[in-house]
Amino acid sequence: MPAKAKAHRIGLFVCHCGLNIAGTVDIPQVLDAFRDEPGVLVSVDYKYMCSEPGQELIRRKIAEEKLDGVVVAACSPTMHEATFRRNAESAGLNPYRVEIANIREQVSWVHAKDPDAATRKAIEVIRTIIEKVRYDEELLPFTLPVVRRALVIGGGIAGIQAALDIAAAGFPVLLVEREARLGGRMAQLSGTYFNFESAGDLLAQKLEALRARPEITVLTESEVESLNGYVGNFTVRIRRRGEDQPREESVGAIVVATGFDLYPLERLPEYGAGAVPDVISGLEMEAMLRPDGPTGGRILRPSDGRPPREVVFVQCAGSRDPQHAMPYCSKICCMYTAKQARLFRRQCPDGQAYVFYIDIRSGGKGAEEFVQAAMEEERVLYLRGKVSRIFRDGDKVMVWGADTLSGQQVEIAADLVVLATAVVPRQDARELAQRLRVGTDMHGFFNEAHPKLRPVESLTAGIYLAGAAQGPKDIPETLSQAGAAAAKVLSLFSRHELVQEPTIAWVDPELCSACQLCVPACPYEARRPHPWKPVVTVNAALCQGCGACAMVCPNKASKLRNYTPEQVLAMVDVLFAPAKAQEGT
Amino acid sequence: MERPARAPIAHALVIGAGIAGMQAALDIANSGYPVTLVEKLPSIGGRMAQLSETFPTLDCAQCILTPRTVEVGRHPNIHLITYAEVEDIQGEPGHFRARIRRRAAGVRWDICTGCGACIEKCPTRVPSDFDMGLGRRKAIYTLSPQAVPNKPVIDKEHCRYFTQGKCRVCEKVCPTGAIAYDQEDELLEIEAGAIILATGYELYDVTRLGEYGAGQVPDVISGLAFERLLSASGPTAGKIRRPSDGREPKEVVFVQCAGSRDPEKAMPYCSTICCMYTAKHAMLYRHRVPDGQAYVFYIDIRTAGRRYEEFLQRAVEEDRVLYLRGKVSRIFRDGEKVVVWGADTLSGQQVEIAADMVVLATAIVPRPETRRLAEMLGIEVDAHGFLREANPNLAPVSTCRPGVFIAGTAVGPRDIPETVAQASAAAAKVLSLFARWQLEPEVEYAGQS
Repeated sequence: MPAKAKAHRIGLFVCHCGLNIAGTVDIPQVLDAFRDEPGVLVSVDYKYMCSEPGQELIRRKIAEEKLDGVVVAACSPTMHEATFRRNAESAGLNPYRVEIANIREQVSWVHAKDPDAATRKAIEVIRTIIEKVRYDEELLPFTLPVVRRALVIGGGIAGIQAALDIAAAGFPVLLVEREARLGGRMAQLSGTYFNFESAGDLLAQKLEALRARPEITVLTESEVESLNGYVGNFTVRIRRRGEDQPREESVGAIVVATGFDLYPLERLPEYGAGAVPDVISGLEMEAMLRPDGPTGGRILRPSDGRPPREVVFVQCAGSRDPQHAMPYCSKICCMYTAKQARLFRRQCPDGQAYVFYIDIRSGGKGAEEFVQAAMEEERVLYLRGKVSRIFRDGDKVMVWGADTLSGQQVEIAADLVVLATAVVPRQDARELAQRLRVGTDMHGFFNEAHPKLRPVESLTAGIYLAGAAQGPKDIPETLSQAGAAAAKVLSLFSRHELVQEPTIAWVDPELCSACQLCVPACPYEARRPHPWKPVVTVNAALCQGCGACAMVCPNKASKLRNYTPEQVLAMVDVLFAPAKAQEGT
Repeated sequence: MERPARAPIAHALVIGAGIAGMQAALDIANSGYPVTLVEKLPSIGGRMAQLSETFPTLDCAQCILTPRTVEVGRHPNIHLITYAEVEDIQGEPGHFRARIRRRAAGVRWDICTGCGACIEKCPTRVPSDFDMGLGRRKAIYTLSPQAVPNKPVIDKEHCRYFTQGKCRVCEKVCPTGAIAYDQEDELLEIEAGAIILATGYELYDVTRLGEYGAGQVPDVISGLAFERLLSASGPTAGKIRRPSDGREPKEVVFVQCAGSRDPEKAMPYCSTICCMYTAKHAMLYRHRVPDGQAYVFYIDIRTAGRRYEEFLQRAVEEDRVLYLRGKVSRIFRDGEKVVVWGADTLSGQQVEIAADMVVLATAIVPRPETRRLAEMLGIEVDAHGFLREANPNLAPVSTCRPGVFIAGTAVGPRDIPETVAQASAAAAKVLSLFARWQLEPEVEYAGQS
């Protein structure tokens, strides 16, 4: 028998979400199903429950009917649970007595082709959530102090900018770089496409600004070894190459700006697989274009050191190729290829530059004009088509391709081929993600919390993302993102303490046998055996309320607040024997 | 100008309350600093409020936007002034003074409850700008049911009382006596230490595209109008209906680069967002009209961005959208059909499609008032009127004027995630300034890096 119900005056609010729900689920039928539900005093619907009039409707009903529990049947709780809880709280209801019945993502969207079944399922989902609310406790959130010091991982342009923006507000920053020098990929570039500014000069400006900030501590040749703790209170271990002892630092927020790698040439067999010396990557071309580079800024063939006269640039080498390589577009290649082709033509006025492309992607300010200038001023020849084979033929590098516009096969005997190889995540990105407990996508790029509106937050509170570690992007976009990550850190640091959700696990000392099964089960290391009592304790700051402990506990001593075994069983009961469960209330 | 002796003011002025302005305001306000957010329209949300679903996840725009608009509307640190424009700005970083004209709404918002009785009973219907002319609204109106603030304004050009001297229906039905026909514009003076410009974009005027029917063919509409057709809260409640006769179109042609990438006749630049929203339009059209056919004319398909290429592949492979590489030369009406003449540059063939509806991905252009504000603030715009960055490579949200920052599509065409990141970046600049002023109040302005 479930524990005694705690909420007796429940309100049910059903959202249409425009047509997202109402287009599939029969709303009047849903409302009808709960007309006589014991303990449910209100059942109403509205077009957009999350809008101000919808919220006002909920607040009014809470006040008028003295509701002590609310169920909002709407979209996923990850979307609006916080909105509805805050709203109910402002009307005087304990926010943890507000629950979301997800009838959009889990009902109307997945059963769009079967409205009847969707309507039945919506009713069942709502019925179980009503049951849950009956037994919800009134909970109070608690607060934790914030360490107002940031860790930035990665000393490329993204990490440098994030550190600068945080330090500019007066907060200390620890900037950790794996290599011996700061600068990352930008230090390898010749110049920007916009205005042909020297990348070295631009980077030098930033490094100068960095040195002027006493708040920033730079640790080069260092890597993050492990991370513990939680937003506002992370403990990070950093190991410097050659040192035995890692150092341990306390930080309140982390910016991940670890950058990108390039798809290896060796994995492109049709393009010579790295075996033809005069087939190089775009980054190798950048090195030759750098005045301080190995060739002093001159483009020379690696094989014989001679200046090439015919250069073929091949875009999408490993990008946009779901069968063989990466399915995505690497975003930056169209522009740097245009830049390299123009710079080559300026060095070699009687030479010829060819660019093989699928689509020319020169979106962004000034980008289209830049590519037009490449075609008109430097007479770079753009050929729309894929290259099928690249191979060495004596002194030359042969390029076989198709020109899809003329429908002709093209064969070019080139002196040098530059491959715009795909931007890929750092080899060890996944490993780092695991250490930081943040997610990556299938390729290894760090996942943002929401692709539209939360582009720099990870799903782990207090850990933010910047630059190409999150996906291919150019320098201005990287800088914006780094600034944005800094803004999130500054917002966090504007507070001395943080509010923590109380829907976490606790241990009933009466039932706990100190078997410690829950200790390794906890992914957040929130559990420790009590130093002398025969029970296991929960670190409330670390616990994220995932419930892994409750699953393994043989005595039902480990429980999640407002997700107790009694609640879950009551929800199951009502699902399979609705009539019987209703009698009990 | 005389240098004020007082300490700089840690208060931000954000101009424009679209997704960029809202994000910047929230980041600053969430850090404990006061923000004045000024919006020209009666409610906030900007262009994003007009969108149906967003790429690449197909989240409904309202669903992800509403939490933001509600948060802005309720934030204790945000002073929201809608239906208002900045008329003048004087002063210098740390001590700007802005004069803001709040237009007379004809409604006392302090006592209006937003019940909507006035809107329901208003007898006058006029084409709705918010619905891109496809739907109608009343002469007393809010932009949408989710409007924040949810308070109506009277459109004096169309209101019967203002044009004919009689009616006053709204006054009669208002339960709180909030209607105030004689309300006058209000002039507000605010002081701010830093300013963020986030004034957004407009669409290239379709009537300037002579070869595409120049706005004369009713079934040739803009992408933003198509968003309204797709929107559940739009004029057709999400059903695809063509404007001329309300019928469901079975063949729809989407034309990209309408006014973009056309240095001779229109704008030379790429509008950046059209390839993705067109793929989304074609995909959603195919979901709503499963037996319909969608064609897309393109020059290059620019789906650069995280999960964008994959989204495009879905449109082509799963939803069987037909992509044709080539420019459209002419669009004209032929009886019930809209005929599209174009070239398929891959097959080298001329293509003629007798379509039921054509959707033009019209170029993104800056708003004229952006140039006015830039002149007022002494910052630069480019040849087209987009705001100019201090350095496009290295300082994308700063301007040549300290204390003045920029974000979003007022700077150049860009999509929502890039806009949001840029807005937060602009907020970071403001936050650094404010924090410095609090640490060292004698420092008038800390240089940006």
